[in-house]
Amino acid sequence: MGSVHPEFAVSDGAVNAEERKLQGSSVLRIKGGKVYDPANNINGEIRDICISDGGIVADVEGGRTIDATGMIVFPGGVDVHTHVAGAALNFARAMIPEDHRRSAPFVRTERHRGGIGGSTPTTYVTGYLYAGMGWTTVNEAAVPILSARHTHEELRDTPIVDKSCCVLMANNEILLDLLEAGEIERARHVAAWQIWAAKAYGVKAVNPGGVAAWKWGKDAKGLFEPVPGYNKVTPAKIIAALAGIVDDLGLPHPLHLHCNNLGAPGNYTTTLETMKVLEGNRAHLAHLQYHAYGGDDWFTMRSQSVAIAEHFNANPNLTTDAGAVLFGNTVTITADGPWQHLLYKLTGRKWGNLDVENETGCGIVPYVYKEKNLVNAVQWAVGLELLLLINDPWRVYLTTDHPNGAAFWRYPEIIQLLMDLDFRREQLKALAPKALKRIVLPELDRQYTLSEIAIITSAGPARALGLPQKGHLGVGADADVAIFNDTKDIARMFSYPRYVIKSGEVVIEEGEIRKTVEGRDFVVRPTYDEKVEDYIRPLFQQYYTMSFDNYPVEMERLERPDLRPCKSGV
Amino acid sequence: MGGKVTCTLGEVKNRADLIVYWGGNPAECHPRHFTKYTLTQKGKFVPKGRKDRTMVLVDIRETPSAKAADIFLQVRPSKDFEVLSILRALIKGQRVNVEAVAETGLTLEQLQDFADRMKKARFGVLFFGMGLSMTRGKHMNSAALLSLAAELNAFTKFVAMPMRGHGNVTGGDVIMRWTTGYPFGVNLSRGYPRFNPGEFSTVDLLLRGDNDAALILGADPGATMPQPAIDHLARIPTITLDPKVTHTSRLSRVHITTAATGISAPGTVYRMDEIPLPLRPALKSPYPTDEEVVRRIYQAVAKKPAWVPSIPNLPFQTAQ
Amino acid sequence: MTTLTLKESPNVPLEAECLSPDVIAPLRRDEIAALPVFLGKRQHRLEDFFTVEGDGGDELEIHGDVGRVKWIGRGMTRGKITLRGNAGMHLGAYMKGGSIEVRGNAGDWVGAEMKGGLIRIVGDAGGQIGAAYRGSLAGMNGGTILVEGSAGIEIGMRMRRGVIAIKGPVRDFAGLQMKGGTLFLLGGAELRTGAWMIRGTIVSGKPIPLLPTFAYDCTYQPAFLRLYTRYLHTLGLSLPCPPGDGGYRRYSGDAAVPGKGELLVCPTQAPTSEQE
Repeated sequence: MGSVHPEFAVSDGAVNAEERKLQGSSVLRIKGGKVYDPANNINGEIRDICISDGGIVADVEGGRTIDATGMIVFPGGVDVHTHVAGAALNFARAMIPEDHRRSAPFVRTERHRGGIGGSTPTTYVTGYLYAGMGWTTVNEAAVPILSARHTHEELRDTPIVDKSCCVLMANNEILLDLLEAGEIERARHVAAWQIWAAKAYGVKAVNPGGVAAWKWGKDAKGLFEPVPGYNKVTPAKIIAALAGIVDDLGLPHPLHLHCNNLGAPGNYTTTLETMKVLEGNRAHLAHLQYHAYGGDDWFTMRSQSVAIAEHFNANPNLTTDAGAVLFGNTVTITADGPWQHLLYKLTGRKWGNLDVENETGCGIVPYVYKEKNLVNAVQWAVGLELLLLINDPWRVYLTTDHPNGAAFWRYPEIIQLLMDLDFRREQLKALAPKALKRIVLPELDRQYTLSEIAIITSAGPARALGLPQKGHLGVGADADVAIFNDTKDIARMFSYPRYVIKSGEVVIEEGEIRKTVEGRDFVVRPTYDEKVEDYIRPLFQQYYTMSFDNYPVEMERLERPDLRPCKSGV
Repeated sequence: MGGKVTCTLGEVKNRADLIVYWGGNPAECHPRHFTKYTLTQKGKFVPKGRKDRTMVLVDIRETPSAKAADIFLQVRPSKDFEVLSILRALIKGQRVNVEAVAETGLTLEQLQDFADRMKKARFGVLFFGMGLSMTRGKHMNSAALLSLAAELNAFTKFVAMPMRGHGNVTGGDVIMRWTTGYPFGVNLSRGYPRFNPGEFSTVDLLLRGDNDAALILGADPGATMPQPAIDHLARIPTITLDPKVTHTSRLSRVHITTAATGISAPGTVYRMDEIPLPLRPALKSPYPTDEEVVRRIYQAVAKKPAWVPSIPNLPFQTAQ
Repeated sequence: MTTLTLKESPNVPLEAECLSPDVIAPLRRDEIAALPVFLGKRQHRLEDFFTVEGDGGDELEIHGDVGRVKWIGRGMTRGKITLRGNAGMHLGAYMKGGSIEVRGNAGDWVGAEMKGGLIRIVGDAGGQIGAAYRGSLAGMNGGTILVEGSAGIEIGMRMRRGVIAIKGPVRDFAGLQMKGGTLFLLGGAELRTGAWMIRGTIVSGKPIPLLPTFAYDCTYQPAFLRLYTRYLHTLGLSLPCPPGDGGYRRYSGDAAVPGKGELLVCPTQAPTSEQE
């Protein structure tokens, strides 16, 4: 871009340019805290954590010491599935001025910008809110290639946290046409080219075939039925092909899949079938809560978390995130266009829809989850049930599919529900009484330990994302650390860490933002045959409406890009 | 109100068989719209191009765009809201008052035919311009059209899109939203963003004289706004940044000539469908870019005592 | 009782949400003088703009043209504010109780999203009386607003409950997206009254232009209006169509939504100008 004078760059949100010069050079010792580092088998041991040059080291001399006696020390949180940047989220911002108005405002200070929190925080506030909870890495889960430039610009304006993004592919018409023609090899090269064009980190599949069908006002509900407009391509084929492509390309993160039939009563069968289709491949199933319903219609809708968890437990190739729901106001944003039109017809609320040529789309409906609403009560229970029934905390992660289930800054409420059985039982009393017969949550008395919380909020998602330097506090890890008070009020504890350290800098201290550092944008460059551009170019000119040369995102758009390796050579 | 059903322009190119232009004159104001995006293109699912498409033009007078239209509906000035209300009722099979229909300048038959065509379309699109959004009713006219588009989705696939004015209006809207949460009319004087069209929108502030300074960039209110607003700009310290000396420049205290964006200054422009496109300047300019000038002003302001707003301790802590 | 007198009109709007009996009642004079007000981006003390007399209490009197002072009476739940002069925007917004009287004109957004209490404007008012702020699902949900002069656009937008009565004429979109409550337009209205109405009652004191999506039902004298006649009489207003005179022409709409609102229009004696 050329014309930006470096000393005036304000992309990190810091008002004082000189503070940035101090990045990465702090020496820090966190002394005497109770450390939870499950990746390194440390479970509440009292030990020091030493930091230098942005990373964890074995020992330090001098520098600052934080006395963490009596406090809990965690690796920084890693959000594997959230919607915080890009066209869809920005569209939602326009639709809910009333939510912005009633959210607590962020008033500017000398250290941070002003902004709005609520269901769709402004970009600067997104960074402050995540860091404010001790979360330091976020994965933007849904990016169209056509507006990836926009996503990276918003990520650039999201301070403190490190970021990655997953590019949408399961309704990409160039790819679907190749699958129809049986040209899997070429599809792999095209997909690899597209990932690099979007400067993405992973591949996202949303309602495979369904979003393409929505462009004619239809959906794709049968996993093995041809997608409208195609004869051979079925959602199952798209899923299998993409999972195979992702593994062949050796991407650090497996195929990130939002299954067909999201939200529909009885959809658990689709989810089980999808898991079978995925056998033999790695895959990450997004917001599993929305895909675990039984019943035939809205009146008989019930939880099928038991069946889902059982099958999931037996398939170690899969990871998932909860997509849990909390009661209250929020806004639903998803690439699942047909689902959002249905929600609009059911609720009469405002409806936003944006179809992106040849690629994908998004639908937006503000929504409120209520305890006394039978369906919402079941949804609330299912998210918790999955977290409690899935045995291996290394494979299930804490999310709310922000903002769909609830705003991300409410994660501490879920932690409390998982750790405190009495509190959970108390909340059950507020539900619509009929709901109790539709769920299994009352029978579950498992309580999460602190170590398990550290796994589902940090160590596990870091591993699933393929980021070995995240999610742990061993030597060589990035110095992303959260230090909490050890208190019985779990929600408060996790909402207000005493200190948060990002890349070795103390960014939050005693509830105040001390410093806003710049995060990194993780990218991969899978290998592909350069000649595939000759294939894509004429198709692009024919079906798109912009110049092919403007399509790929320039590397300069990314803030501190960090190129991560792919595993294999293909 | 609020909410909108839309798509990117390629969807229109590839699928649309019914295209409606309402209150706009693309032949003159968006010269390549027909040929690049909507009418003459052969789309993926519209292989015969123009032959597979029907264009309806709704306007108060016959502009050059009418030559490209299959159907021209000449609506009486300031009656668009009524026409849109009638259409919303007709598509739902509701009754309308026949005499009131006549006042719109159109007949019930014309409107019923229009409603039927929209319902039977395979993929319809409503493009709306300032002829709709700036006449009596203003934002309500746009809201009426957007509601119609949303409701048509009960029958078929239908979208709506605004025909944006010149400059990077869409880009400004997009970036304001991600940094402040609101598209325009944002007040930051209490230290966080607040939004209220009519209270904080530019023309209203100027008409009431609610501001005591102005920085104008990429716009020429001295040419387009009502006289009382222009008089206020002339009274207060006004700073203009523009490649040319504009009407606004002539009443400003300071005019700074800047490089023309897209020609000599790089950046990103957001197309009317919010697709971001990189600008690659073709020429060099002796003048600084808008960005350079704003950064230098900002640096000078940063040297002054810091402004740290506070939230007062009151039962309702903020004004809105 | 506290009395404030404006010293000098602010050159840009002054935001003074502290001017509410809830805030002022328990305070002493010097504490009231120190209350924060905002002139653009600068925080000031109330006494920078007003002379302050009295010591708290439930009554507040404001003298001077405070047409540029916004948010007076914001969220109040009790007490009484009297303005002897014009009032700025957002007067009595989010109010829950108590009363406000303005012996002058008022700006836009009077009683926006109000839940209870009484506001009376002796002069003219602006637009969006008792309305919902942008994006909110509903506006006024209770209380009474009276305007003896004229008013602007979007009066009662998305109101759900409560009574608004305007003596003078109003402009476009009165009762826009109304969800309930009662809106009296005693001086008539310009265009698009009741647009997108869902429920609620609009009573017009004279024939008004109607949207094509409103249908004539009948002419009658609704019984419930007798209750309102008495209520409004206690507040100094009288309804146009006396009983025993044929009555109001009732229209239902808005078919565009479709809604079940009602528009009661008082026909004039003149033979022309009726919609059927």
